[in-house]
Amino acid sequence: MRKRDKYCFPIISTIIILLFTFSFQSVYASSLPNGDEAPGRKLAKQAVKNSKRWTTTDHAKIDALNQDFNSGDEVTQACLSCHSEAATQFHKSIHWTWLASGDKKDMRYGKAGYSVNNYCISANAMEDKGCLSCHPSWNKKGDKGTVNCLVCHNNSGFNFTETFSDIQAFSQDQDPETDEIVNELQMEVKQAVSKIILPGRKSCGDCHFLGGGGDGVKHGDLDTSLTNPNRKLDVHMGTDGENFSCTRCHTTVDHNIAGRIYTNPAVETRKSLIEDDLAPKITCVSCHSSAPHKNDSKMNDHTDVVSCQACHIPEFARVNPTKMWWDWSKSGKMKNGKPYVEKGAFGKPVYKTMKGEFKWEKNVLPEYFWFNGSLTSITADDVIDPSEPVKVNHPVGDKTDPQARIFPFKIHRGKQPYDKISNKLVAPLLTGKKGYWTTYDMNEAILLGNKAIGIPYSGQFDYVSTTSAFPITHMVAPKENALTCNECHSRTSSRLSNITQIYLPGRDKSSLFDTIGWLSVFGAFAGVLLHGLGRFFVRKNGREE
Amino acid sequence: MLKKLIIYFMVLMFSITGLNTVFAAQGPDGNKRKGKYTYRKVYKACSEAGEVESSVPKISPADKKMNEWKTIFENRQFNEFGCLKYWEKLSDKDILDIYSYFYNYAADSPTPATCK
Repeated sequence: MRKRDKYCFPIISTIIILLFTFSFQSVYASSLPNGDEAPGRKLAKQAVKNSKRWTTTDHAKIDALNQDFNSGDEVTQACLSCHSEAATQFHKSIHWTWLASGDKKDMRYGKAGYSVNNYCISANAMEDKGCLSCHPSWNKKGDKGTVNCLVCHNNSGFNFTETFSDIQAFSQDQDPETDEIVNELQMEVKQAVSKIILPGRKSCGDCHFLGGGGDGVKHGDLDTSLTNPNRKLDVHMGTDGENFSCTRCHTTVDHNIAGRIYTNPAVETRKSLIEDDLAPKITCVSCHSSAPHKNDSKMNDHTDVVSCQACHIPEFARVNPTKMWWDWSKSGKMKNGKPYVEKGAFGKPVYKTMKGEFKWEKNVLPEYFWFNGSLTSITADDVIDPSEPVKVNHPVGDKTDPQARIFPFKIHRGKQPYDKISNKLVAPLLTGKKGYWTTYDMNEAILLGNKAIGIPYSGQFDYVSTTSAFPITHMVAPKENALTCNECHSRTSSRLSNITQIYLPGRDKSSLFDTIGWLSVFGAFAGVLLHGLGRFFVRKNGREE
Repeated sequence: MLKKLIIYFMVLMFSITGLNTVFAAQGPDGNKRKGKYTYRKVYKACSEAGEVESSVPKISPADKKMNEWKTIFENRQFNEFGCLKYWEKLSDKDILDIYSYFYNYAADSPTPATCK
């Protein structure tokens, strides 16, 4: 007993010191490069280890494709001779209807409906032929045309539309010299048409990387740099990484591709593939689980509040610049009576008579908001308050919503026209002989554009400031480039400075919490000290009473 | 003999004047569609002979304005195009077709070429 008392104090002190040391080591161990792999990575690797695609069909050997084609419609008929339900399925998808509801009786949301943005504003119910270049139909006929299967399922790069137009024109020429050209074209079509694929990054990117009218204009995390990215740009799509195609995560059922957002959440619930291997959309959690970091990592405690993207996409537009500002109110200026273009940094236009003033940025820090997967949308049929910036799109969610996480966004700002009398955003027609880009008459363009979508226009317009929010979810950086703690937990320069209603250690200060905290620390220290001193002074130096 | 020479000279003058008139009108009236493929064929042949790397022509109609193409084609200054050996083999009609293609899809035309 005497011996135990003698060594008790130094032994307890040593244990406390060791415990402190080990606890610090365990915190830092999670960031050691040679540490064990995080369970989230192990799970994800397991989920995709057999993802290599394979096919049982060589389309070059299919008789239906080994014929002379004179039009796109004939090609589609050849496709449908085997894939009999494909067009029926596709006609119901948003890629075809451009309506969220899929039904013309409900025009509220969708490019072909009342939806507007602060880029080219509206597709005017498919009346704008410029927008139709991205509609997967032949010859820019929109939903009145035939499905062009080759837009997504062919990687030849061949210009079928132009070639068919030329074949048809030559056929009417009555010029025997053109027969040879037609024969050559037919041969080229035959070779190109058999190059059938499952959609790749370029198939999707030909429209989605160029959204808003050019490379990287719209999204910020989607541009042509993702056609063949390296792992540093995107760990999933990197050709030296997992080399994912878009459809690896944007899963498809009956030609409906998961992931679009209007008012419906892109993801209803966060499910791992273990819970549901037919989940309609693959999210981070699907493969990486909701506790992706090492078991002893503090970072796992964040996943119920902070999205994976918030830390793992530190910046967007890391290769190509993205458009951050578009002011339509400055469009229409002429130089020497002619439209002109001014280029700025990055070699991108900062002014175009056709479109107005732009600002471009690269390596952009996202803005952060609570987000439950839904966005609000102001349409051309909603009344706005022009005295303040109109949020054309804005994330939905707050800290009380269990589905909401703090999520990174690109916020595109600008000025666009609105109806001064009805206080509604308007939808000017841009292309065509009577469109704004030909006439430079905004009033006339609005009249025609609003008529196309069936919304009355008073004849008086002005410009209003608007914002549009785009979730940042691509361009996931390697883990070594993820955010460090002090990017958010910082008093002066926290990335989450606009996330209020929560107490963020390091960023926020509460004198009450701080007082309680310090009192606890000093109290514990005083307790240990007093206890030790008490034991020291009342000891009997080994003597027994 | 002199009479024959005068007739030949007159025919030649009429031909040149006629060609110039065609070029000087509101644009060449060749077959622009045919011109596009004749132009491509030049580069295909040139590339097959190993004289250029790509069979895709490096110059597009949208690279210049209508007036610039007019100067080039009326003065037959095809150096910029390369593959001169193949240009020399083209008939006047072929060149007129190619000129029509370039003129009609020039940068300042109503329908500038957007792809090569």
